[in-house]
Amino acid sequence: MITAINRRTLLKGVALSGLASAIGTRITLAADKPLGIALVVPSPIGDVGWGHALAAGLDPIKAAYGDKVKITILENIPEGPDADRIMNKAVADGNKFLIAGSFGYQNGALQIARRNKDVTVLHASGFQVAPNFSPFAAKYFQGTYLMGMAAAALTKSGKLGSVSAFAIPELITSINAFALGAQAVKPDIEVSVVWVNSWFDPAKEQEAAKALMAQGCDVIFSNAQDTPSVIAACEEAGVYAFNLNSSMKSYAPKTYLGCVATDWSPFFKASVDAHVAGSFKGANAFLGMSDKVVEVVDWNPAIPADTMTKIKDTEAKIAAGSVSPFTGPITKADGSEGVAAGKTLTDPEIVAMNWHVKGVTTPLPK
Amino acid sequence: MNAVDFILSGMLAAATPFLLAALGELVVERAGVLNLGVEGLMALGAVIAFIVVYHGGGHMLAFAAAGLASVLLSLVFALVALGFRANQVATGLAIGILGQGLSALFGKTYESLTVKGLPKLALPGLSDLPVIGGLFVQDVVVWLSLLLTLMIWAGFAFSKTGLVLRAVGENPKAAHAIGYPVIAVRVAAIAFGGLLAGFAGAYASVVYTPLWADGMIAGRGWIAIALVVFGTWLTGRIFLGACLFGAVSLMSLAAQATGVELPSQFLSSLPYLVTIIVLGIISANKRLLKLNGVASLGEPFER
Repeated sequence: MITAINRRTLLKGVALSGLASAIGTRITLAADKPLGIALVVPSPIGDVGWGHALAAGLDPIKAAYGDKVKITILENIPEGPDADRIMNKAVADGNKFLIAGSFGYQNGALQIARRNKDVTVLHASGFQVAPNFSPFAAKYFQGTYLMGMAAAALTKSGKLGSVSAFAIPELITSINAFALGAQAVKPDIEVSVVWVNSWFDPAKEQEAAKALMAQGCDVIFSNAQDTPSVIAACEEAGVYAFNLNSSMKSYAPKTYLGCVATDWSPFFKASVDAHVAGSFKGANAFLGMSDKVVEVVDWNPAIPADTMTKIKDTEAKIAAGSVSPFTGPITKADGSEGVAAGKTLTDPEIVAMNWHVKGVTTPLPK
Repeated sequence: MNAVDFILSGMLAAATPFLLAALGELVVERAGVLNLGVEGLMALGAVIAFIVVYHGGGHMLAFAAAGLASVLLSLVFALVALGFRANQVATGLAIGILGQGLSALFGKTYESLTVKGLPKLALPGLSDLPVIGGLFVQDVVVWLSLLLTLMIWAGFAFSKTGLVLRAVGENPKAAHAIGYPVIAVRVAAIAFGGLLAGFAGAYASVVYTPLWADGMIAGRGWIAIALVVFGTWLTGRIFLGACLFGAVSLMSLAAQATGVELPSQFLSSLPYLVTIIVLGIISANKRLLKLNGVASLGEPFER
């Protein structure tokens, strides 16, 4: 049984206590028997996007464990003190497995892990590790590199754009790999970025996409947006666009370039198995194509066949580990050396990346 | 299309949700009532309009339904704040939260769906002008909002209704003594404010960003309330503030897209800074501020 609760329905419950029971959603006090799994996400869960991908990753656990697990999804929880309170409440209500689905939950979730040694916490996009606390992130850059190759083959202006949420390493690496992939096909491609400084503001995202189009960008990367705002605006303007996490092809049947999709289920399943067996060990989980977490789907048929062949070839090599988007020589946007010739960035170096590659024209916020 | 065209052609549409909601709040506050529930009224209007358009009801019906829904919710505010003379700040906040909750509830099954927006209409002649031509290519709601701004300005300046409304806001006891129905006038003002907040929400969800996502109003109702205060309760200044806010938010995005060497966090805060500074400078005259301020704002009326 999956129960969905969001902050606003809870608040409304306070305002109109009668309604809350009518919706039939509340955190149930977990009995001792089933393992309580709580997923906390910052945005509402729709048919697409980050939250949807995380929630969908729990389905195989549900299928495997049946009534032995009780999954609670807490959606639309803004980062901040309120999130700490809600996560604490979820644990107090008996949930022993917590998935904190946003970078900004890090401190609160880590405190919970330290105070409750019997609770296992998975935290999205972070860097802190504890014995019962694993950060997890997807190697989106493996997919965005391929997208860059496709974009370079399709662009007429030589200008690509990205509407991005916040300047954190996970998003920066995606943009860098996108630029590198494009430059691998056409060396002088430029990438403009608009940081909207918000995880969730559909109107602003759409304005940002239009601002990029006004600058001549004709392939747009919707970087970490949960709604189809950017994709829909691009379809209307006849501009190619792609996004992360889950396919939005239905919003842009003509100009959808593809999706760097994530399937969290192998990782979630393995972690829950380990928790149940008592063998869970906190570690940095940085998962990509070889883990079957990242894959590119819904390629646009307009991509030329010879480019597609190259993309498929590169994809196989990345999955096999013989090729990395971050193999030198790579020059930083400021002209200095990013990666020396012949060297490849290690995972910890990629996770800490705080510079743009050459060709990304927007300065990186400090 | 360059950055200037982008800002000029998008400015009015970006300003419209703020403008509509702020004009509604202006009328409410002029009548001496402080309704802080605008965010929730907008959210409710947004979801109702989206549902109507999604099921093929068309934009006209969508705006009507959104307006009606928000009027009904604002009448709940009127009942509690005027009928029971509850604290208006607390009541407004509660209504706002209720509106957001209701929008989340009604919108649950429509999350992340999209609809078609409205076509842009060009003013013949003017839209062909170089540089500023884009300013004259807007959807019908923008044109009507401009007309409404003019009507509200004229209403306050020249009509008896406007004077009665202001009298009720300035000195409800005196207005009552000379025979004006204070409570009825305030209820009407609250309903009008609800109507415009509903329209503002509808514009956001079915015209400007034609999709539904819970929380998509994203604080715009609060900015509208702030515009009323910083615009010192004057229609013209509120219009100016809304346009300025719209233009600077687009400018900050365009600046990033062109690669201006400024931190994006600073650019993101620019619309707020610029609007506050400009309106602050315009309304620096303390005497005028006192003259325009509404004397009985937020105070319950008892006979």
